[in-house]
Amino acid sequence: MKPIDLTRRHFFSRASTGIGVAALSSLLQNDLGASEGALPGIPHFAPKAKRVIYLFQSGAPSQMELFDHKPKLKQYRSSELPDSIRQGQRLTGMTSTQSSFPVAPSMFEFAQHGNSGAWVSQLMPHTAKIADQLCFVKSMHTEAINHDPAITFFQTGFQIAGRPSIGAWLSYGLGSENKDLPGFVVMVSQGTGNAADQPLYDRLWGSGFLPSKYQGVKFRSVGDPVLFLSDPPGVAKASRSRFIDDLGKLNQLEYEEFGDPETTARIAQYEMAYRMQTSVPELTDISKEPAHTFELYGPDSRKPGTYAANCLLARRLSERGVRFIQLFHRGWDQHNHLPKQIVGQCQDTDQASAALVQDLKERGLLDETLVVWGGEFGRTVYCQGKLTADDYGRDHHPRCFTIWMAGGGIKPGITYGATDDYCYNITENPVDVHDLQATMLHCLGIDHTKLTFKFQGRHFRLTDVHGKVIKGLLA
Amino acid sequence: MPIVPIPRLLPYLLVGLATSQLPAQDSQVLFNRDIRPILSDKCYTCHGPDPGNRKTKLRFDVEAVATSDLGGRYAIVPGDPGKSEMIRRITAENKAMRMPPASSGATLSPHEIDLMRQWVQQGAKWQKHWSFIPPVRPASPVVKNTAWPRNPIDLFILERLERENLSPSQEADKERLIRRASFDLTGLPPTSSEVAEFVKDASPKAYEKVVDRLLASPRYGERMAVRWLDAARYADTNGYQTDAERSMWRWRDWVIGAFNRNMPFDRFTVEQIAGDLLPGATLDQKIATGFNRNHRGNGEGGIIPEEYAVEYVVDRVDTTSTVWLGLTMGCARCHDHKYDPISQKEFYQVYAYFNSIPERGKAFKYGNSPPAIPAPTAPQQLQLNESNQKVSTAARHFAAMKDRIHHAQSAWEKSLAGKPSIHWSPERGLLANFSLDTDNPKLTWDPKGPEFVPGKIQHAAAFDGLRVAGADDIANFDFYDKFTLAAWIFPTSGTGAILTRTEDVPEAMGYGLYLKDGKLQVNLVDRWLDDGARVEANTKLTLNQWHHVAAVYDGTRMAEGIRIYVDGVSQEFTTIVDDVNQTFASKQPFRIGGGGGPENRFHGQIEDARVYQVAITPEEVAMLSDPSPLNQLVAIPADRRALAQSQKLELAFVSHFASKPIRQAWEQLTQSQADREKLMASFPTSMVMQELPAPREAFRLIRGAYDRPGEKVTRSLPAVLPPLPAGASNDRLGLAKWMVDPANPLTARVAVNRFWQMYFGTGIVKTSEDFGSQGEWPSNAALLDWLATEFISTGWDIKAMQKTIVMSATYRQSSRVTPELLQRDPENRLLARGPRLRMSAEMVRDQALSVSGLLVEKLGGPSVKPYQPAGLWKELSGGIDYVQDSGEGLYRRSLYTYWKRASPPPSMMTFDSAGREICTVRETRTNTPLQALTLMNDVTYVEASRALAQRMMTEGGTSPEQRIGFAYRVATAREPSKAQTQILLDGFRFNLDRYQTDRKAAESLLKEGESPLNPKLDASQLAAYTTVASLILNLDATVTIE
Repeated sequence: MKPIDLTRRHFFSRASTGIGVAALSSLLQNDLGASEGALPGIPHFAPKAKRVIYLFQSGAPSQMELFDHKPKLKQYRSSELPDSIRQGQRLTGMTSTQSSFPVAPSMFEFAQHGNSGAWVSQLMPHTAKIADQLCFVKSMHTEAINHDPAITFFQTGFQIAGRPSIGAWLSYGLGSENKDLPGFVVMVSQGTGNAADQPLYDRLWGSGFLPSKYQGVKFRSVGDPVLFLSDPPGVAKASRSRFIDDLGKLNQLEYEEFGDPETTARIAQYEMAYRMQTSVPELTDISKEPAHTFELYGPDSRKPGTYAANCLLARRLSERGVRFIQLFHRGWDQHNHLPKQIVGQCQDTDQASAALVQDLKERGLLDETLVVWGGEFGRTVYCQGKLTADDYGRDHHPRCFTIWMAGGGIKPGITYGATDDYCYNITENPVDVHDLQATMLHCLGIDHTKLTFKFQGRHFRLTDVHGKVIKGLLA
Repeated sequence: MPIVPIPRLLPYLLVGLATSQLPAQDSQVLFNRDIRPILSDKCYTCHGPDPGNRKTKLRFDVEAVATSDLGGRYAIVPGDPGKSEMIRRITAENKAMRMPPASSGATLSPHEIDLMRQWVQQGAKWQKHWSFIPPVRPASPVVKNTAWPRNPIDLFILERLERENLSPSQEADKERLIRRASFDLTGLPPTSSEVAEFVKDASPKAYEKVVDRLLASPRYGERMAVRWLDAARYADTNGYQTDAERSMWRWRDWVIGAFNRNMPFDRFTVEQIAGDLLPGATLDQKIATGFNRNHRGNGEGGIIPEEYAVEYVVDRVDTTSTVWLGLTMGCARCHDHKYDPISQKEFYQVYAYFNSIPERGKAFKYGNSPPAIPAPTAPQQLQLNESNQKVSTAARHFAAMKDRIHHAQSAWEKSLAGKPSIHWSPERGLLANFSLDTDNPKLTWDPKGPEFVPGKIQHAAAFDGLRVAGADDIANFDFYDKFTLAAWIFPTSGTGAILTRTEDVPEAMGYGLYLKDGKLQVNLVDRWLDDGARVEANTKLTLNQWHHVAAVYDGTRMAEGIRIYVDGVSQEFTTIVDDVNQTFASKQPFRIGGGGGPENRFHGQIEDARVYQVAITPEEVAMLSDPSPLNQLVAIPADRRALAQSQKLELAFVSHFASKPIRQAWEQLTQSQADREKLMASFPTSMVMQELPAPREAFRLIRGAYDRPGEKVTRSLPAVLPPLPAGASNDRLGLAKWMVDPANPLTARVAVNRFWQMYFGTGIVKTSEDFGSQGEWPSNAALLDWLATEFISTGWDIKAMQKTIVMSATYRQSSRVTPELLQRDPENRLLARGPRLRMSAEMVRDQALSVSGLLVEKLGGPSVKPYQPAGLWKELSGGIDYVQDSGEGLYRRSLYTYWKRASPPPSMMTFDSAGREICTVRETRTNTPLQALTLMNDVTYVEASRALAQRMMTEGGTSPEQRIGFAYRVATAREPSKAQTQILLDGFRFNLDRYQTDRKAAESLLKEGESPLNPKLDASQLAAYTTVASLILNLDATVTIE
């Protein structure tokens, strides 16, 4: 294995795309055991978290209905959004030509919860119960005002396609903790709030200009959990095992003749594929989970493909050391009929999100797992379409919105940042998307300015040329 | 870049690392090769071309500044490292003084410091960046081993190898050589007979014959096209949000055709960048310009069009500069380039060549966005010729009857005198006509029954602001449909719906012709404020009198495709919304006098409401607007009739009242015209470049932001590059000609480097996308320049260049590697051995299809949808799912596979395909377990294994050994060794045993895939051979080009 070792070091020392040799890192990662495959020098300092579970609420949940309590809005109801608040900010083409911008207060009640006294709406009763575990960031803001660029921005640090996703960056930087599972797993679920909601795109977990081995692997609820995982009908396990052995022998002969380390890498990849054929179904088979688990995550957790079932799988994945686990739940894009749609979305997600945090805590995993909940932007305080007694809609609002974080490295039981009475502008401690990314990387022991990859002559970063670690969020 | 601890293996490593970067036995330090890469990567961020980031006056990209007096101190004193502040600072013990500063994250290795010192010592000679100096044909190197070289390429390679004390490898065996050349030139394996023939052919020209055959194959163009499609970010969908279909395959086929016809690269360039501006541009030349329309287009609701209009132009600049110049111009979008001499202003000066096309920032969500042209294929063009001929024959025939018609019409007109009134109106494309004279069973009245009053022609229906007539499920038009709404109205109030098919609430989805505050308004609406078209006539209708009103829509999804007529006259109108982005078809009934809520009920009378499923002509509208019965018209002396009246009489006669021969002649004419229109509607369209009559203004955009224009800029090229060639216009065409002007230092180098990369996996410049300061120094600069000058001097002959490369001894070497050589040159940059590369994604699949006999070799056409696991599209979007093809579409070459950007074909992506969202020119190869799973389990490969197994049993001899040998030969072009055969044979027996006991298992394996199962073959045998075939398709030797 000597020449391979050499080559591997060579690859990392140059951080090149390493045509061919890139593959070797995964080979060695397997041979050298857990947590190998990290870039030299990483972590840059002692990490608080080993992994991330990112609960992406796709479509952009309304901050006013869920977490950012604005009691004064009731008295402003139907009044025109003052110019002093709007400050000439750009609006999307969906509402910029509206003749009026009436203020629409939330229909839902809020109360304070836990020792921290966090405000949580009646839509999120389970989340309210774990408020003391959470860090609410009410001052998130973004540059993008449309879904595609906004979600691409959150995932890749840039609004235009082409850059690696955050999970790919982490796989590249930190390597994998598990030799039988991919380091970056993605799961997608459809919300009941709005069935025709915003689509997702493979680029959101793509590897951009990083080698494709770092891209997220989507676990699916129908068919094979990982594409092409199952053997074809009529091929028995013993037969596949024999196949892998024979292939290994034949490839070894090839290696002996040609001496190309790619060949030995390929032998190892087939062995890992074979192990995945066992490890992945074992992982996704939740039938042996005890009844109280399903009670904790809610009845949906028994239905494959739901957000709740994915939350449960997220816990199982984190137990197995998968580095970056990302859920996408669609259905939050509530331009109209928001009161009805948001109820559905909250029913889909509230209990399971809270259960996941609680479950991780009970298993002692929360300290080393960073959990993030949030969407790609917020929603407008003014009504989109007609404001009636029991119905309204909200357009995209990039200027402030709320996310929450919990677990490894994050200060629990706090609220960070604040917005004005109209929930329109940030009044305190703004956090932009690059700041969030820098802070997440910090929790994982990575200096975001030093996780780079040279492409087109530039040392690219997840945080582009921006971002600062938000110390106020850190434990 | 993380700081890399120096490994203990350093002495070996340096050799390995340095193959291209270290001066080999050469003590002369060269600025371009040795120093600029260090300065660029470690120093230019603060001391480089971008003033925005420069911390002091000092910069190292300009010699005069770097050696200037900095107040008694000098950063660089040529010849004197001791006096050079720069050397002092990079070696400073004091961390606060040391450069580069720790905060930059950059560090200099001892070797780099040493190089810098030597360079200063040797006189600190600057050079213009190498790639900006036009290539000069290098002298032929002198080599010791004169027997090995076959062409000049080999001299350059060998000269370097000899300096490194390395020897080239022997030539690859013939089987591997023909397989390598076949994949590299056609993307497909050689057939067994091609291999056998080549092995048998002992003539000195044997290999050249193979190469010539491959270059002449239509498969060559397909192979060459794939990498060009990656560079051109070609795809079948729009790429943002909904990511719906577009149609650019006519451009893709143009590329294949251009390679197959061996279009010279200069023409290939000019036609793609500016084919539309060539004098008398042909359809093909216009289609070629689709290169710069392949970028993604955003049709998401609510976007700010100006923002994306900028993105499209930026993408064109990025892509064009990467593909032809190997420059990362995009880095100068927000600020001056940090490494290369390209200012931000210059970026926008190049931008100005690409921003004057009549496009929209908000792209169409579905289909091609303007500008797009009908792009009939060659057979369709023949059909069109035929159709034109039919029309002109029919027209001639009809014209020949002119006198006869004239006489007959006169007689007919006379016969009308004194007859009861005959009403007639144009009937072409008439879908429904509600005269509203009396009750009509097809109409449902709400909330009360109808009331008929004397009208304009006969009777009219009265509308009182409450009543509405519903006509059920007719006229369910959508945004691609042409249609016309027309009626007589007598409005008594300024607001009310006339003819609609829309939800019956205000501002709802649907289409309709309305009266709004006295003005006619046409609405084609999905979402009221921003998704639809709304146009409003500029003049108010006079109330309380009869008017004929009509709205015509031509199905172009553009407001300018709408016409409003009042009393037969086309009206000036104002466009309020112009964003028909998605379907406006509603589930509501067609309505007369209502739709759009209670406030839109009509007040007054409506008569003779008509719906046409065509966009009727202005003449037809004019005829409609004259309600006079025919016998009243004939009473007017012919020379006193209005034009519309004459036309109406004539049309009525020839289409309706004439004798059969006349009517038939007319019908033939109109039918042939309708057929031609139908044919033309079936043509694919293709997005193209077009130039606005006057260039759109361009500005430097501050921080690259669309809404922060700085000073105005005009078209110009970066100062570091040569000016436009004499006589070239300062537009896209001039730019295109400049690209391929022999004075351009970059284009030929960049092009041949990518060709080189296709064969050797890595370019001579490894950073094939970046020939700037941050790019890698060429591993063999003289060779690159020889190839570049050769390319130009052969008239940019692409096939000749491919032939030169594959005919070289360098290319023909065996790819066997020794541990020593692997250590010396792990990336094979020196080419002391042949390339050994895993196949590209499309080759992996195409090979499986080919060796199994499933491949359908058909050139071009719309993209196809081969096997893909169900649900992949749907789970991302909730919308439509992938609908897999059946039959031929499953077995076409992979470059024809439908490419949806949001959800690209997973097995292609697993094998490192470019994602086609942005320009990709570097090839990457990884080696992952997902690749293993795909090759073992994807139905594509399971079916190919079964089909190959069928071939084994029917063509591969009778014994298992023979059959295994057959499959191994088909897949690898070689005979298996005894050891290999034994392993495969044992595997076969193991599986045969299993499948003989479990026939059901065998049968279920054999059911995979759509291709027919040979019923004559024994299921257990076939299943066992299938597993052997699968094993062979999974071999490293099979998926690798050795």
